[in-house]
Amino acid sequence: MVLYLNENVNLYRRKNRAGYNLNIGTASESNNLFLSYYHTPKRRLSLLFTKSSTKLKNLLHWVIPGLALLLSSCDSLFQFNPNEETLLDREKDLTAKNIARISALPVSDTTRFILMGDSQRWYDECEDFVESANRQKDISFVLHAGDISDFGLTQEFKWVNEIMTRLNYPYVTVIGNHDIVANGSSTYRKMFGPLNYSFGFGHDRFIFINTNSREYAFDGSVPDVPWLKAQLADNPEKKNTIVVAHVPPFDADFDKNLEKSYSEALGSDPTVQFSLYGHQHRFHDGEFYDDGVHYYLTTSMGARGYMVISTWKGGYKVEKVEF
Amino acid sequence: MKKYLLPFLLMIGLPVSAQEVGLTHHRKWFVPDHIKLQFAGNIGFLSGGPGYMSRNQTLETDLLFGFLPQKFGGDALVTTTLKTTYSPWRINLKNSYYIRPFSIGAYLGYTFGPQFDTKWPSYYPTGYYWWATSFRPGAYIGGKAGRNVVLNNHRRSLEFYYELGTYDLLLISYVQNKGFLKINDIVSLSLGLKLGFN
Repeated sequence: MVLYLNENVNLYRRKNRAGYNLNIGTASESNNLFLSYYHTPKRRLSLLFTKSSTKLKNLLHWVIPGLALLLSSCDSLFQFNPNEETLLDREKDLTAKNIARISALPVSDTTRFILMGDSQRWYDECEDFVESANRQKDISFVLHAGDISDFGLTQEFKWVNEIMTRLNYPYVTVIGNHDIVANGSSTYRKMFGPLNYSFGFGHDRFIFINTNSREYAFDGSVPDVPWLKAQLADNPEKKNTIVVAHVPPFDADFDKNLEKSYSEALGSDPTVQFSLYGHQHRFHDGEFYDDGVHYYLTTSMGARGYMVISTWKGGYKVEKVEF
Repeated sequence: MKKYLLPFLLMIGLPVSAQEVGLTHHRKWFVPDHIKLQFAGNIGFLSGGPGYMSRNQTLETDLLFGFLPQKFGGDALVTTTLKTTYSPWRINLKNSYYIRPFSIGAYLGYTFGPQFDTKWPSYYPTGYYWWATSFRPGAYIGGKAGRNVVLNNHRRSLEFYYELGTYDLLLISYVQNKGFLKINDIVSLSLGLKLGFN
């Protein structure tokens, strides 16, 4: 039994399934508070654990490591608050890390990627999605259309990331309304990165934008339309522009005062042929503003469906997949 | 009259003598029966506070004030918790040691912060989110080991306890995802010390 003391209070799951490393707060805290009977039985806790009490002492010598062994496979042996934002290094800045992975991929005439979303509290189904997605051919990456978590808890983000890292492809996300609840947006920033961002790959340029207006009391700041317009304007190579968001502009959770300027920003840009969303837990699509922009909504993990999208210079194809 | 006086005096005397056995006659009803210091358990990095014990010494109720420093939690969080633990059995060991092999309990924690809601703001339709983010109910099982001691001529008890617990949102996640989630994914450990004034 190795008692491994580390400042990182979260357990590293895989490491602990292999060995019996146990992190208990900081070394000093642990020594003083909880492990002192191991090393310095004559200090404060000597009232509890004196030499005369060999029976109890022996009992505890077995009970405590036994408990530790039992729990060593836990994701987090000690949890301090449901809203804590404790992440391992490998769980931080995932957007930047995954864009770097995508940028290193070979570019061909046609780019194929997957759009999925709303994994919120559907872990079993999300595992099935990963299995199905890994069987698709020539996929470069996966887009998660938001509502990664259900309660905005860091633990949920970590579970979904654990499942999504089993994909054979990198994945990038856009924030959903459930990901903003409680400390969710703060965790999203740490775990993934900025709420609005963009990157280019092959003939395409992807713009991810936070459209969860209701979470901001419809105060006019979300979605950030001026930022979107600046991003659309910054396209010297005239790549296909694909705007990805969680709440579609015609949804009740989208700021009605911004619907027109948002949809017109997309409609007036000739490089925008289609735009991708989640949120409504159903497949849905249409050219809702008669401006040449086709809106696609993917369904939830609970409804066991996703989209495979192929793009090439001047064209695209969307296929619905059920698993 | 005299016939009734003796039993009457005995009846008054009985609770008094019982109190003397427990050495509790100096304490007012509002003075706590114990204080606790707890590590982890989703109510703070460290939490502590006073508590009361039922007459038969099996049910204890605590009011704990917990703090999670940013260093350990990514966000500094303050939580107050009302907690009730039922420990039905006590086994006395040699040298005034004892164990309470099984405890079961529940808690309700309230975490402070503008990002946490009890009643969702009016710009959400009714029932848009069904849970409150400020209050968090949870439950646990555990055990205790302790010793009765005399400190400065006062009877005291020192207890160490552990608890394995979870809370509502993790439990519902587990119930609906038994393939991906294992029971140890939603259970976490807390450790604590109790100083009893009995």
